[in-house]
Amino acid sequence: MTALALPAPRTAGRRLRWSIGVLAAPITVWLLFFFVAPFLVILWYSFGRKPSLYVTHANDVLSLDRYVEALNPTFLAVFGRTLQISLIGTLLCLVIAFPMAYWMAVKLPARLQGIALALVLVPYWTNFLVRTIGWQIVLSPTSFVADISRGLGLGTPQLLYTPGAVQLGVVYNYLPLMILPLYVTLERLDHRLLEASRDLGANALETFRRVTLPIVMPGIAAGLLLVFVPLMGDYITPSVLGGAAGSMVGQQVATQFNVAQNWALGSAMAIVLMIAILAVVVVFALLFRLVKALVDRHERVAIVEAEA
Amino acid sequence: MTALASGTPQARKRRPDAATVLLGVWGVLGFLFLFFPVLVIVAYSFNEGRLLQSYQGFGLGAYADALTNSAITSGVQVSIYVGVFSALLSAVLGSLAGVAVARRAGARWIGWLTALLGLVMVTPEIVNAVSLLPWFVTLGTEWGLTPLNAGIVRLIIAHSLFSCAVVTFIVRARMAGLSESLEEAAADLGAPPLRRFLDITFPLMRPAVISGALLSFTLSLDNTVLSSFVSTADATPFPVYVFASIRSALRPSIAAMSTLMLLLTLVALALVAIVLVTARRRTGEGMSLASTLAGG
Repeated sequence: MTALALPAPRTAGRRLRWSIGVLAAPITVWLLFFFVAPFLVILWYSFGRKPSLYVTHANDVLSLDRYVEALNPTFLAVFGRTLQISLIGTLLCLVIAFPMAYWMAVKLPARLQGIALALVLVPYWTNFLVRTIGWQIVLSPTSFVADISRGLGLGTPQLLYTPGAVQLGVVYNYLPLMILPLYVTLERLDHRLLEASRDLGANALETFRRVTLPIVMPGIAAGLLLVFVPLMGDYITPSVLGGAAGSMVGQQVATQFNVAQNWALGSAMAIVLMIAILAVVVVFALLFRLVKALVDRHERVAIVEAEA
Repeated sequence: MTALASGTPQARKRRPDAATVLLGVWGVLGFLFLFFPVLVIVAYSFNEGRLLQSYQGFGLGAYADALTNSAITSGVQVSIYVGVFSALLSAVLGSLAGVAVARRAGARWIGWLTALLGLVMVTPEIVNAVSLLPWFVTLGTEWGLTPLNAGIVRLIIAHSLFSCAVVTFIVRARMAGLSESLEEAAADLGAPPLRRFLDITFPLMRPAVISGALLSFTLSLDNTVLSSFVSTADATPFPVYVFASIRSALRPSIAAMSTLMLLLTLVALALVAIVLVTARRRTGEGMSLASTLAGG
């Protein structure tokens, strides 16, 4: 009887599940058509060439020449600088954001946490470009900062249109993207675990390393990813603050499409950028796993010793 | 003993240790850093000078300029129009997909879809922008899909891509926490799929859909890179206008309009907060604003 009765609900369940699965069809079609297809098109263009001054691309001859052309010394220099700005910027974001998120999630009373969170979000939801212009005003030679500097007899500082200005701008622009995931994981941190660790005789550093850090690791990983990826492709911040001295790879790609009208070369540059970002993310993920495995093994040995 | 035990926490409360004080100072400095350029923009929106960067005295002239400059007002109109429609589109696509992903989490094709959505979220905007431009040109001129020649349509589509992925993840986070048994009960009682969706599934996910849509709206208002590539001369959103004026000259009217837009964004954010708080109060669970905005 039971065996006979069982198949019916299972089929009903499957039919229900199947009809729910159909709901994902529109987004799949939409993304295949407006995300995957355009990407395949520029992938195709990247194997072509720019035949003449007035034509943006042609695929009559297929080659990897555009990739060779894209990897010219100027591009590589800009690429290196972009990677440097991105890595330093991501690390600075982590260093600035971690104590902030820790303070918000662990030290602030619960009723103030919502307000603190809103205070992080308000600047973040102000237009990215407008915030960057705010920094341009501050760093410009006519600003009040320059006035103060002149008042102190230090002369007019050259702040705008330097790599330092871009570095400041990107750290500022992406900081909320680091604070949010760190806060979300730290908020879930059970205070009793910290107290237990302290009661068991661990000092603050040891508690941080062996209790807090392992719990916050997913948040750190998410934050690093959320900051690094858009930072690598940023094109607004260096345009507003960098000038010629602080240009980044996103501008190189944009220039090929907007100014040089060389879609073949621009496509190759875009693909190189995309591959580089994925490569860094994959290397980072592998390193992350490796470190975690090593730490786990180390901790496990320590526990066995303690028991013995 | 008791006096000593109760005395210790009081003492701790009265005088926080050095680490807590340092963290507090760091946190407050961090907030000042985050607000600094926003406050600068608001302050300079009252600049009476001709150029934004050099302050020439206090006045409301910039606001009058901003509200009478047709390039600025039409830019804001385009931004709001595109924001509303791309938010609606993303909300529909994302909520449907969010339910499917949450309910069919084990299926292999769901894994592929999640990977695709993840890829949409990690692709740098500039790559997206340069790939959409030739695609719209191809579709509009060679394939004869003439609606795609209109800047507004291009902007709505372009802005919907990232947003629909965000909405999917928010709705998935909401649905993953809710049991499937209600829908199964409705199915057992003979409710057809559409009825089941409208009566059971949609009310459950409504807060996530609304906050996702509002989030998409603000993301769309903020978007500069995609917009500057796909927009056309007759449909220039406000950020693209601002980005273009960086190369010529920035006027205080831009700061004035940005301040007004900031107020608009604050209203949208407040709505998200209200929706989430009411939802949590009603169901006793739900998501915090933070986890919503961090993508679930």
